Amino acid sequence: MVRCPACLLPLPKRGFQPLAEHLIARAGESDPDHVRWLNQNLSRSRIASEELVRRLEQYFDLGERSLGDWITRRFIAKFFGEVPHPFVLALQHPSRGTLLGYVLEHQHFLRQWVRSCAYIMARTDEPEVVRYELENLLVEFGTKDPAATAHYELLLRMGESLGVSRAEILATPPLPATRRAIAEWNRIATETDWVEAMAALHALELIAHRDLVREGATVHYFDPSILEGDTITPASRAFLREGYEADLEHASEALGLIERFARASGREEEVQATFLRSLDLFDDYLIARLERGEQFEA
Amino acid sequence: MKLNYRGCAICDSTWGDLREEVDGTRLFFCCSICAIQFRHLVERVKARTGWDRIDALEIAGDRRGRACVATRGDREFRFEIAFNSDGEVRRFRPAPAGVPG
Ligand SMILES: [Zn+2]
Ligand SMILES: [Zn+2]
Repeated sequence: MVRCPACLLPLPKRGFQPLAEHLIARAGESDPDHVRWLNQNLSRSRIASEELVRRLEQYFDLGERSLGDWITRRFIAKFFGEVPHPFVLALQHPSRGTLLGYVLEHQHFLRQWVRSCAYIMARTDEPEVVRYELENLLVEFGTKDPAATAHYELLLRMGESLGVSRAEILATPPLPATRRAIAEWNRIATETDWVEAMAALHALELIAHRDLVREGATVHYFDPSILEGDTITPASRAFLREGYEADLEHASEALGLIERFARASGREEEVQATFLRSLDLFDDYLIARLERGEQFEA
Repeated sequence: MKLNYRGCAICDSTWGDLREEVDGTRLFFCCSICAIQFRHLVERVKARTGWDRIDALEIAGDRRGRACVATRGDREFRFEIAFNSDGEVRRFRPAPAGVPG
């Protein structure tokens, strides 16, 4: 089986012919998700099925690389390329609006995040994966170390430090793009295999990874100099610092687990496709953060 | 309305198969989001300039941000526009003077 990277539809595995036919059919109906995927990943001009099969083969081919490297490379190309994602550009030296946009949309993202982790835990039988997800849950919502503050709590404090009350933050519903992305991440967590769900979820942690510049990213998630000085509030520094100083091993550990279990279950191509779907969702979600932030700057 | 793209009126893609009339011109769009974006673009330009119609549009950039030049007769309006994932306008502003289209 393979999956469509634009809608997650399972397709029979006979090379990339069924996927090419499906993409051409859905694009022929002007479906935005399929047209977008073709435009951004393979070609902006219509190409015939045979040529499309060839390009899909190339696109999904791991070559000498590991699955984890392939994922990292695609991630960098999407968010940290020559022209980085607009939210990443805004976060280099963030305004109050950008940080508030982050808080108001990300509270919803984090609540889905832990829900997805819990689904993976419930659906796997691998102790290493259970331990990995448990650690995630603790960092995001719990207090693994009594002296530490959960990520979700740090996020809310950042919002309060920018002048929006906790009650107001919690009462703000997500923007439509955030709501849609969350619904799709929930579908991935409940309907795809748990290895695919892991890829859709934990590959996104690469966004704050400090090592990406060494791997070809043009910029960091934000300019590390904002962690010093007082261009942003202390609570904002505390929130951003936590992601920045997160254990580098933690981030690569997920890719290692995904790689191993994807190979063991013969699901590498499904993992690639589900990860690609998650990339587009994350792209839209980051734009929603910007859009929310702009409401504070008008 | 004269356009610089031969494919989709706003992104130049030749995938898709959507034809819609905008301002009396029948245009090709690759998908419904592009059609929505284009309608919003035309509305914003007309509202900003007070023009009854646009003669020509030159568009550069991608969904994350576009730099455009609209013309009506001998008048010209340069602007930047960006959309959210629903095709709604997220940012619209006249281009700073001196910036080539
Ligand atoms: Zn599909
Ligand atoms: Zn288009």
